[in-house]
Amino acid sequence: MSKGMNGYHGVILDIDLTSGKINRKPVPVEDTAKFVGGRGLGMKILWDRLKTPGIDALSPENPLMFMPGPLSGFPVPASCRTCVVTKSPRTSAIASEYPQASTVSYSNMGGFFGPEIRFAGYDGMVITGKASSPVYVLIDDDKAEVRDAKKFWGMGTDEFDRKFIEELGDRRFRTCYIGPAGENLVSYACIINTAARAAGRGGTGCVMGSKNLKAIAVRGTKMPDVADHKQFLDFLEQAREGFKGTDFTKGWRYGGTARALAWSSGRGSQAVRNFREGTFADIDKIGDEAARQKTWIRDFACYCCPLSCKKSGAVKTVSHTGLAHDGPEYETGTMFGANLLVSDLGGLMKEISSGDDYGLDIISTGNVIGFLMENYEKGNIDRTFLDGIDLTWGNVDAVLKMIDKIARRDGVGDMASKGVKLLAEKIGSDSDKFAMHVKGHELAAWNVHVDPGMGISYVSSNRGACHLNGRTLEEQNSNAMIDSTGVCLFADYGFGEMGLQNLLTAVTGIEWTKEEYAKAGERIFNLERMFNFREGFRREDDTLPDRFFAEPLTVGPGQGAVLDRGEFTKMLDEYYEKRGWDPKTSKPTKAKLQNLGLSFTIET
Amino acid sequence: MSKARVIQAEWQNDMVSFSRRDFIKQVAAGGGAAIILGNLGVLHLSSVMAEQAVTYRMIAVDLKKCTGCRTCEAVCSAYNHKQKVNGELLNGLGNPYLTNIRVHGFNPDVDVPAVCAMCLDNPCIEACPVEPHPETGRKALYRDEETGTIRNDRKRCIACGSCAEACRAERVGIIYPNPETNKPERMCTLCDGEPQCVKYCPYDALSYMEIDLEREFYGKSPELIAEELTRRWYAIDGKEGKNE
Repeated sequence: MSKGMNGYHGVILDIDLTSGKINRKPVPVEDTAKFVGGRGLGMKILWDRLKTPGIDALSPENPLMFMPGPLSGFPVPASCRTCVVTKSPRTSAIASEYPQASTVSYSNMGGFFGPEIRFAGYDGMVITGKASSPVYVLIDDDKAEVRDAKKFWGMGTDEFDRKFIEELGDRRFRTCYIGPAGENLVSYACIINTAARAAGRGGTGCVMGSKNLKAIAVRGTKMPDVADHKQFLDFLEQAREGFKGTDFTKGWRYGGTARALAWSSGRGSQAVRNFREGTFADIDKIGDEAARQKTWIRDFACYCCPLSCKKSGAVKTVSHTGLAHDGPEYETGTMFGANLLVSDLGGLMKEISSGDDYGLDIISTGNVIGFLMENYEKGNIDRTFLDGIDLTWGNVDAVLKMIDKIARRDGVGDMASKGVKLLAEKIGSDSDKFAMHVKGHELAAWNVHVDPGMGISYVSSNRGACHLNGRTLEEQNSNAMIDSTGVCLFADYGFGEMGLQNLLTAVTGIEWTKEEYAKAGERIFNLERMFNFREGFRREDDTLPDRFFAEPLTVGPGQGAVLDRGEFTKMLDEYYEKRGWDPKTSKPTKAKLQNLGLSFTIET
Repeated sequence: MSKARVIQAEWQNDMVSFSRRDFIKQVAAGGGAAIILGNLGVLHLSSVMAEQAVTYRMIAVDLKKCTGCRTCEAVCSAYNHKQKVNGELLNGLGNPYLTNIRVHGFNPDVDVPAVCAMCLDNPCIEACPVEPHPETGRKALYRDEETGTIRNDRKRCIACGSCAEACRAERVGIIYPNPETNKPERMCTLCDGEPQCVKYCPYDALSYMEIDLEREFYGKSPELIAEELTRRWYAIDGKEGKNE
């Protein structure tokens, strides 16, 4: 451990797949103090590594980073996350001078992988280069090597999960990997662990595939030290107590995110029929109550998490009997269910299992398929365009065929694998008005008509449309911080007002006051924005699809709801002003950057 | 409470009240279930138990409640590997590498915490080749009658690994030879009468109880348990599964 780095090992594992060289690199103390870990430290490393804008996200230079946080590895409730940070293969700017301009991408996964990186003695992993043939990376404490993975190439994530552990010979290895979608460079391929958890968004699996990297396995025996051992134990005890028996905890255990399926539909905020509607009449057929009765078997939890939002199931009494997989969750259940008008729970489970097995981001995949369904319905494309697939609303078999085509980039799947923005350019017929993306990144399962705040979350997010970005800048700064600590966003509320700050203080020895905590989140968010600005992203890129301003909801409690363009623009103006950004360009002002300790970004 | 968190919690809390009906029904513990045929070890144990007046206490797992969160690993490690900090002996930070209870995760999802079964017939001690001490009667590996736990006398231990082999071949397979010394580790200590895994399990999946040979899966290896539960829960062949 580096001196003065409580809570950190002070070491990043740096792997160059082109040369096969693996190095231990020190992490500067000022970087951990300012950018914390996870999403924040990953962003700082991305800034340092990519010195010039416009680098192709799929080029060997683009670093793919696996970043736990300073609370990862300690038995803090829900300290289980790994933030995957890289330059996005998903986003593009309206008027950048760089043809390969794209935003930052950060994508967060639960499970046990991040803590294990810390047990192995690292605060993160940075992977660059490109292997000449498929490989996997094995990390066993101080030992790290690149190994041949040819025999695994092409294997679905579920089978691979089992075969890989067999090859490694010890269940204590924690693994993550891509499926065929990542191997085939589907732009919205994801990274999977434990066969169902995903760093889903932002095309992280595509970047991993571009490096010929099938998987990473890690195992370790170490633990970083803390600044104030006794205080840490006290705060830990308080945090555990804080989750015990509360309605908050019970609610998560009861239905995970799937509780939101019926709830969101009931208020008109669900993505239904390619975001045309906010309420799905058949939601009860695929909601948490139906899932509990018909598919869910057990609740599962990530490392030291008291919430157990993961619901594993087996399909027994509906279609596709015999299938064992997770779900539905809110996002998967909406994007592969409500958004496509799929009301067959067994069919929905099959879609989810197929999407995970191929290693696809189900949010983007469901969005793309919904977009194609709408174009097919409107006659903008015909059955020939779809390689003979009768892609009608609610047609599970057709959805399954499309998933397969996308993952293999076969025929129409090749075009579809690039996302709705490029599909709309290809299809034309004003289809861009209902191509549901921001900066090329598809919207998630939350609709906007009744919830303009979600619109702000989508347009101001630094990775393209993101429902977890936050509706206000306070929420955004706070979320950027949580993503940087290693703790799960879903658990944040359970820590109470100062819980996380106190734990961070005890671990790092840095006094994390409420103000410093919020400021660090703001710093991280602004560095992301500066990265995007350097790439050529401007205010006009912070735009919602036309649909929300032009087509009011026609059904449900949100009937008639539509956004007013003038009002939304005003909301956004106020947002930039509050951020200290130039409302014309969305560039953070010099004063703001100086105040946040980001002077090193100013020349751009 | 910061504004950001209030906003964030809004939909979550909303949903709690929305769907707060009866929470996951309490599933009865698996007591009284049939002993799996072919488990010769357990059948043998029954006769031992009948002869013995003493019994021991152990950590029992309700596999239907375990979510695989591994909190048990962290708290076991913290209590049993204390650290001296500024002259004060405190719990460790909870490095799971050092834990005596270990959660084995499988795909499809089955998590099996494995911990010393405190076997009445002590196959590990039986396997220890060290001659009993003339005064105490103890081999290197012995039962501490005060706590009821299995302990190793590191000075007398010859690091042959026989105890670990016996445990793996006949029971749970928790004894682990230290990679450097090859001496046995991971025998449950019961934490001086207040097992931390039981105390801190967020899901009440663990209990501190007298050995119950009738209890399903008693003394079985995690792999065997997972195989059976996978078949039972997930109906992989589409026929045998049932909701419990």
